[in-house]
Amino acid sequence: MKFLKRNIGRIVLTGLVLVILFAWFARPPFSWTFGLLILVGAFGALVTDANYAARRIFSLIPVLLIVSFVVFSLMSSLPGDPALTILGAGATAESIAQLNQELGFDQPFFNRYGNWMGDVIVGDLGTSRILREDVADGISRSITPTLQLMAYSLILAVLIAVPAGMYSGYKNGTRQDRIISYTMLGFLAIPNFVLALVLVLFLAVGGVTIFGVDIGFRWLPAARYVPIGAGWSDHLKHMLLPSLSLAMSQAAVFMRLLRSDMIGTLRLPFIDLARSKGLKTGRILFRHALRPSSFTLITVMGLSVGSLIGGALITEYVFTLPGVGSYIFTGIFKRDFVAVQGAVLVISTLFIVVLTFSDLLYLALDPRLKHQSEAA
Amino acid sequence: MIKLKLRKRTREVDETSRTNNSLGLMFWAAVSFLAVLTFCAIFADILPFKNPTQTFKGFNKNGPSGSFLLGNDGVGRDILSRVVYGAQTSLVIAVVGTSIALIIGGSIGLAAGYYRGKVDRLLTIMLNTTLIIPPLILFISLILFLDPAAERRMFILIFTFALLSIAPIGRVVRANTMAWSEREFVLAAQTIGARNGRVMFREILPNVAPSLISYSLIVMATLIIVEGAVAFLGLSVPSPTPTWGDMINKGRPHLDVAPHITLMPALSMFLTVLSLNFIGDKLQEKFESKAAIL
Repeated sequence: MKFLKRNIGRIVLTGLVLVILFAWFARPPFSWTFGLLILVGAFGALVTDANYAARRIFSLIPVLLIVSFVVFSLMSSLPGDPALTILGAGATAESIAQLNQELGFDQPFFNRYGNWMGDVIVGDLGTSRILREDVADGISRSITPTLQLMAYSLILAVLIAVPAGMYSGYKNGTRQDRIISYTMLGFLAIPNFVLALVLVLFLAVGGVTIFGVDIGFRWLPAARYVPIGAGWSDHLKHMLLPSLSLAMSQAAVFMRLLRSDMIGTLRLPFIDLARSKGLKTGRILFRHALRPSSFTLITVMGLSVGSLIGGALITEYVFTLPGVGSYIFTGIFKRDFVAVQGAVLVISTLFIVVLTFSDLLYLALDPRLKHQSEAA
Repeated sequence: MIKLKLRKRTREVDETSRTNNSLGLMFWAAVSFLAVLTFCAIFADILPFKNPTQTFKGFNKNGPSGSFLLGNDGVGRDILSRVVYGAQTSLVIAVVGTSIALIIGGSIGLAAGYYRGKVDRLLTIMLNTTLIIPPLILFISLILFLDPAAERRMFILIFTFALLSIAPIGRVVRANTMAWSEREFVLAAQTIGARNGRVMFREILPNVAPSLISYSLIVMATLIIVEGAVAFLGLSVPSPTPTWGDMINKGRPHLDVAPHITLMPALSMFLTVLSLNFIGDKLQEKFESKAAIL
């Protein structure tokens, strides 16, 4: 138990990684994934502060209800007759009315919402007449590439941002710091679809020729999705460019945050103590300064999942990955409300769960907050 | 180790005193780039740019040349003039969207930070609702929901972008207002009987304004990126009007033979966003160090 309490951050992170891995390999229905995520969050926090965790988990319920209502009302008030879209332009008035009745579109708004919510709670997101499949199946099929893309991007972003931010914060004010900071400011200004195309141009299709000199390579594939089942190395090769193009702007945000927090931390007296004990700089930075500097970073990492989802939509479009983004996009263009509704609901739920989770992680990493919440 | 630290301290002092005096060459480069871009965009009809929708036969996918400075696109149109006319769309949407959000979000934030209580709670609820659904998906749903046939796309884009920028701007203003309304001069104004409106607009607003301006530049940069993304997906202003995002998307199939079709609009978007971010950053630094002296 003591081990659990001491290493809570690591355990929770491992749990999250395991859940994502499980989602890749077993492809469970999405509800299982979210159930597990909530369980991991609850478990992680129960070990740190039971009351607070319970409060956070229960406060999710009204938020999720609001989300479902917003999503439902937005989608159901989209212009256009759904039955007409399904049947096509040649449909008779009678068959339209019949289909409307069959699908429940003739009922009042709140009845429809109630019916839909009743189905959603047991994991039934309805059947899409236009894409001709069960929406829950469609989403759990297409969420795999999206989750992979997001996970790789987040990992890449952290791998780039943490060393860069720490070094830049340590070398605050020097030329190295300025070079790193300006480079990252540059990456912040590149929209991810532009970065994606530039990466494809220089690393996949051979680059540009200026005055007869070729600049660029043909190292990596330009598009297409390869599942893990078809070979790890092939999979990672195909995912590298999408993940990198999604990761860089996040890395820039993370790096800038970590840098400014790092500068603040390095001024604190306990760093002077560590230094006067004769510890090596690397050890001071990684073991002493990183943890108190990473609190803002973790909150923003939680929030960044929102922009990662949005970015994934575009990245999937550029690299033709069959993810949730393309699913939503097809749904929007074919005016398939049921599919879009389900997908947006699932994504928003995921987003909210991750936000709560990052809050709990924050608490686990910073024991000072725990004392505050106990005192209050 | 001690020696090294001493040197570091003195250098830091130098650094701050220098940044206080000047904004640096990069800052003015960014400002002049934006100035040139805005000038070209505003006076595009008077300046000698080619017609952005005219196709020049036989020049398809040509690289930069004497008569077409940035080259021609897939159907032979002049990329330079399309970039300039595309800047019109991006800048109008970004500037108008941010201004509307600035007026509404600024007032709400000011009221929320000053009165606290109910107004504050309203702002928090608004902020949370816009945070719940991932932004780009919300944008696309809202745009398609409000304007499915792309008849008033420009108007709808501005409206949506303004609507979703209100909460973040409001939050910044609220936080700043809260900090400033604790100060003695505000209390003094209240004591001599100034009305709340006067205290807010004459005492607090001028102090909040600097950080508000630098933040709104960053919001503007974000709006340009989002407009680019929306246009890239083909959902921005419909086709004959040039937009950067659409130009980038149209250049995609020719990426291996004529990369300049994609790179030129991408480069102009990158420079615009970079300049806005850079200016915003620098101004914030400057204002912050000024506030620290007080």
